[in-house]
Amino acid sequence: MKDSLRISFPSHPKYLSVVRLLTAKIAELCGFRGKIIEEIRLAVDEACANVIKHAYKGDTSKEIVLKYTSTEKKFTVILEDRGAKADSRLIKGRDLEEVRPGGLGVHFIHRVFDVFEYDEKRTRGNRLILIKYLGREQ
Amino acid sequence: MNIEVIDHKGKKVLTLSGEIDMYSSPELREELMGILIKKVPALYIDFREVSYIDSSGIATFVEGLKYVKSYGGRLQFFSISKGIMDIFKFSKLDRVFEIYGNLDDAINS
Repeated sequence: MKDSLRISFPSHPKYLSVVRLLTAKIAELCGFRGKIIEEIRLAVDEACANVIKHAYKGDTSKEIVLKYTSTEKKFTVILEDRGAKADSRLIKGRDLEEVRPGGLGVHFIHRVFDVFEYDEKRTRGNRLILIKYLGREQ
Repeated sequence: MNIEVIDHKGKKVLTLSGEIDMYSSPELREELMGILIKKVPALYIDFREVSYIDSSGIATFVEGLKYVKSYGGRLQFFSISKGIMDIFKFSKLDRVFEIYGNLDDAINS
């Protein structure tokens, strides 16, 4: 069975708390439990924060679309925006041994999602695809 | 997020509650740096009621730590929940931040 949900929200950081609540609940409905739910919640929050910060450069009047899909094999979250194109070659977290502000969000996303990639075919804005395969440490 | 500054027997304690994220971390930064700019010898951060922290919140504390170290002061955290401790450990910041079980342990360290 395939479950899916689509929401859109303004690119204002005040809505991130709503995204977190929703993401945690959806992850629970998809069968995740405990720490994994917290990791998914943090990862999606970081991905949305990156859109606000980098794609929309802090403009709080834009739109972010989130699509959650769950099948027996995988849990997918897709984020879409119409902001500045992300250069996936430049997106990497900082060395964790290096102590400086910033550069952790990408690590939080990679920690829980097996796939973290941009849809390069998209011509306007960005489509970020996050996939977690099921049946591992759910 | 709520921020309260408490004077505990002459020690400055920053008591935080709620979620620290991209929305609330600018306020935290302002409060934190507003205290550290006075070059207090030690600032104690109470995490007991903090339910969530993201990379922007962590970045704020790393910035505060760098500043406090620049003048030889100390930034000391206490009463951190397991969930937030896991994030600090994953980020390898548990080795960088001074973390204590409670305020007394922090003060007596």
